[in-house]
Amino acid sequence: MRLLPWIAVRVAMLAVSLTVLSVLVFWATEVLPGDAVGAVSGPEATDAERAAVRVSLGLDRPAPERFLKWAGAVLRGDLGTSMVSNRDVGEILTERAGASLAVVIPAAVLILLFAGGLGIWAGLRAGSRLDRWLTGSTLALVGTPDFLIATALLLVFTLWWPVLPAVAIVPLGQSLWQHPDLIALPALALALGGFGSTMRLLRASVTQTTSTPYAEFARLNGVRGARYVRTIVTNAAGPAVHAFTIMTAGLLGGGIVVETLFNVPGLGYELARAVATRDVPAVQGLSLTLGAATLLILLAGDLAVRLLNRGKEAS
Amino acid sequence: MSGRRRIVAGTSTLAVLLLALIGPWLVRGSISTPVAVPYLSAGGENLLGTDVLGRDVLARVLTGGRSLVLQAITATLLGSVFGLMLGIATAVTRHRRTGQALLRVVDAFAAIPALLLLLLLASGVTGSDAAVALAIALVSIPFSVRVIHERTAALAATDYVRDALARGESLPARIHYDILPGLAPVALAETGIRFVAATQLAATAGFLGLGAGAPAANWGRMVRENSTGLTMNPLPVIVPAALLIVLAVGVTLVLDRAAGRRAGGMEEAGALT
Repeated sequence: MRLLPWIAVRVAMLAVSLTVLSVLVFWATEVLPGDAVGAVSGPEATDAERAAVRVSLGLDRPAPERFLKWAGAVLRGDLGTSMVSNRDVGEILTERAGASLAVVIPAAVLILLFAGGLGIWAGLRAGSRLDRWLTGSTLALVGTPDFLIATALLLVFTLWWPVLPAVAIVPLGQSLWQHPDLIALPALALALGGFGSTMRLLRASVTQTTSTPYAEFARLNGVRGARYVRTIVTNAAGPAVHAFTIMTAGLLGGGIVVETLFNVPGLGYELARAVATRDVPAVQGLSLTLGAATLLILLAGDLAVRLLNRGKEAS
Repeated sequence: MSGRRRIVAGTSTLAVLLLALIGPWLVRGSISTPVAVPYLSAGGENLLGTDVLGRDVLARVLTGGRSLVLQAITATLLGSVFGLMLGIATAVTRHRRTGQALLRVVDAFAAIPALLLLLLLASGVTGSDAAVALAIALVSIPFSVRVIHERTAALAATDYVRDALARGESLPARIHYDILPGLAPVALAETGIRFVAATQLAATAGFLGLGAGAPAANWGRMVRENSTGLTMNPLPVIVPAALLIVLAVGVTLVLDRAAGRRAGGMEEAGALT
């Protein structure tokens, strides 16, 4: 398929995915039993009071009508007002995104360096002692839920070696970026969570490339050292980019856990809080944004892989 | 991985599963009334000390695993059954367009972060363990459908299945005699991988405070509740965390070979959370 039609198809699929997501978000927050009425009116409200709240929130209207109204507002960039803090959800979003990025970007860089380096190394020496050790230990890392990795770090750095603050408390009026010591632990926790699977995918891709005919051809022609590594790595790049996009998209989900544990005032922390307080507009806005970000990252990754492969075909 | 390590991983996982399931029967007295001051160190009457509210940690550890394990098992079974049905259906259907359209919808679901879906669905039905199990099952279905679909499509293209089609065998007969035997190993490995992911998600759900409400014990929630008292009594965090790690990592290690055969399988499971 040519590039432009391909992009058009992918963008259309993205739109479909976003529509599915928005229906799901709306259905889960407004149609399922635990809807906004209970949150606003409180547990001791009488039936009459609940009915009044229902009408005042517009929840007496049929669900499809309310969905279209909500979706229309979202398309115009209006995410509504938080029911807990009475602030504009869009405003909260932009404020929280900064803190999330302050953790996600260092984590992604860490993974890029370590998973990249070790993945290539282990892949080039498949079956060696180091490779076996790395594959074994990363398998355990992959099996461990993110929040336990984060807790383990917390344990180490509060109990046995208390050099870093366990909880991110940002002084008022400052951003998280000004406090690298507060970023270190959450970023490390996030990086460890994504490291295992990324390294394993990269290793598999490099190993596969070393057994291809052109890798053998390069070896037979006496290509050694850095040049050989470059040959292998450039040819293993497609799957590697794919692995990194999946990892980056996963970091957003892992962020919910890590931010909650370390009290990082990011999107995930805010979402978990909004779910706990049943702040419906905030849950809707935050989950839609996180979902859209994930889908966009995956699309960007697909596009990068596609462009890489095109370059290969042309040469 | 050596067979010995696999056996060790297998038995310890079974032990934790057993502890989680029969644990609640071993507890005498209440798990929610405070028995001493908060974060009392281990020893004496409270073998593992007390937690953030002064409750007995041992009793809470014993009761905190069952709902989690049951959630994971229910979600795995539900997810596998639906994944199997949808996966086979999309691969053998004569309405290729419908099958493809269904796969596109499944893909759209797979792209949404699992934890986000879990939070959303659990927020719609608050405080329910069943809702968490259902949400985990929903999250895992797209991955199952993909794997089962690919394998079934490959099997459906084999000569003996075409042969059966030409003989005029009915669809149920073809699925039963020609497709299922070849599908079984993949489906089993897939179910195992789903179980690992489901355990992780169930624990994370507990950690985030979804599922049954506050006084109920939950290994995931215990880790969160007690993380402020690490310096005074780390046991209410370490013990449930260790049990969860043995459970999740143990199954991962046992499945290692099966997962490795299907390249990238375990990595996908890891990406779920």
